[in-house]
Amino acid sequence: MALKLQRERRPISAQVILAVLIAISLVVLVLYSREDDAGPLHSLQNAVSGLTAPVKTVGAAGGAGVEAIGEAVDNTLASDETYTQLKEQNQELREQLSMYEEYYLEAQRLEGLLNMRDAYDLETVGARVIGKSSNAWHQVITIDSGSDDGVRSGLPVMGASGLIGQTISTTANTADVRLLADQQSGVSAFIQSSRAEGIVRGSLEGMLYFEDFELDAQMAVGDVVITSGMGGGFFRGLIIGTVAKIEQAQGDTTRKVVVIPNAQSSSLEEVLVVTAMNSEGAASAVFNAQATGLTGNGGASNGAAASGEGSQEGAAVGGSAQ
Amino acid sequence: MTRDLAAVIIGAVVAVLAQVVIAPYIAIFSAMPNFLLAYILVVAIVRPGNGVLVGAFFLGFAFDLIGFGPLGAMALLFTLVAYGASRVFRVLNNDTLFMPLIILVASVFAVEVIYAFFLLSSGAASNLAEAFLYRSLPCALYDCVIALAFYPLGLRLFAVGDVHKEASYASPAPNATGVTVQATAPKKRRNRRMK
Repeated sequence: MALKLQRERRPISAQVILAVLIAISLVVLVLYSREDDAGPLHSLQNAVSGLTAPVKTVGAAGGAGVEAIGEAVDNTLASDETYTQLKEQNQELREQLSMYEEYYLEAQRLEGLLNMRDAYDLETVGARVIGKSSNAWHQVITIDSGSDDGVRSGLPVMGASGLIGQTISTTANTADVRLLADQQSGVSAFIQSSRAEGIVRGSLEGMLYFEDFELDAQMAVGDVVITSGMGGGFFRGLIIGTVAKIEQAQGDTTRKVVVIPNAQSSSLEEVLVVTAMNSEGAASAVFNAQATGLTGNGGASNGAAASGEGSQEGAAVGGSAQ
Repeated sequence: MTRDLAAVIIGAVVAVLAQVVIAPYIAIFSAMPNFLLAYILVVAIVRPGNGVLVGAFFLGFAFDLIGFGPLGAMALLFTLVAYGASRVFRVLNNDTLFMPLIILVASVFAVEVIYAFFLLSSGAASNLAEAFLYRSLPCALYDCVIALAFYPLGLRLFAVGDVHKEASYASPAPNATGVTVQATAPKKRRNRRMK
């Protein structure tokens, strides 16, 4: 008789496995936080985003259908009051459009006089939105244009009527765009009327706030907010939105300025990635005005008027370029 | 690979797909469900074992990869909470549905709140109160609904034996003399002939 002695293999305890997994997680976390956006872990995350793009497209198609159904239901259930409000709003917009068309024609005449290039000579790449972030903490969308189409990180992205965000990473055929409403988003901007400079930041609430401006900056509800081009992140003169509310607590010198974006990011389907701006916008308008000999108060006022008109023209062109 | 294990793996893949395809479009205001978290918690309770820890790690890592947050954060949290939930359930199990539901809710809230701290430290969020009010709390509530809805299904699909009556096979408890006795399933007896 042969007795077979079986040596029992002791199972690995749960505590050992737990310790190993925790250690691996912490190492990955520390390495990720220390590396830059081009590091291997960030690249891996970026690559996964590209790989999941086809899957996200399925969700986007389904999501668009669900949103359309929701809108149809809302439209059917719209009250008479809503209908009346929409009619009044439509009339108001028609009047504004007529006014802006006048400004555009005047700006074109001034442009001809000053030999100024179109301040918004944009080069763009069109793209469709194929996915949204699968994480509640980040307002990021995925588009179907990537490095093969000339898109790279750090480019501004426009919606139908204004800036919506900035590209943060690309693969060959896709790119991720961080929306303005994202908590980590920040755009150097200024109030078009008063040229008060500041930064438009997103928030967890989904609102845009104009911050870091001087205490005596002049602004009012309805003022247009456009990019200033400072810091090199965005081209100058791209329209962001309008001032919707200015809150100031009694006895407090600081103000909380809420900005309503021109382009709504919730129902985006197509976007334009601005790959180049062949003019420096308002800055070049002033330079050209000086170069043609329009100096002094008249020249300065012409330059300022041209830059103001150019910006407004840019806002109109930026909106129509979509 | 056993059929049970295959079911768990398929379930994990489905959870990942649901997170990518469905979750962004069923967000209610700022709250988006975390299917991966709900899934791994249910599996950790109904099917405790070392494999669940590994599964939790990889699911958490998958969540980090498909998102834009710090890599490794959810992997760490999923692993810890899966371990904690299965252990707490083993101790506090009273053969009712109340205890697993409490554990699910507490685990979900713990993960969402601690993840907020991770994001604060990484700069993705700047205000703790806002992070809690606009993200952690609504997302945790949504996750609870998903987990509680999935629990009966998980119990039916993934449970090993009767969850509410048998001890875990993974980590045997020491007996009165301090000797650890491995609880094993009853072996099939064979007729052995002495040679």
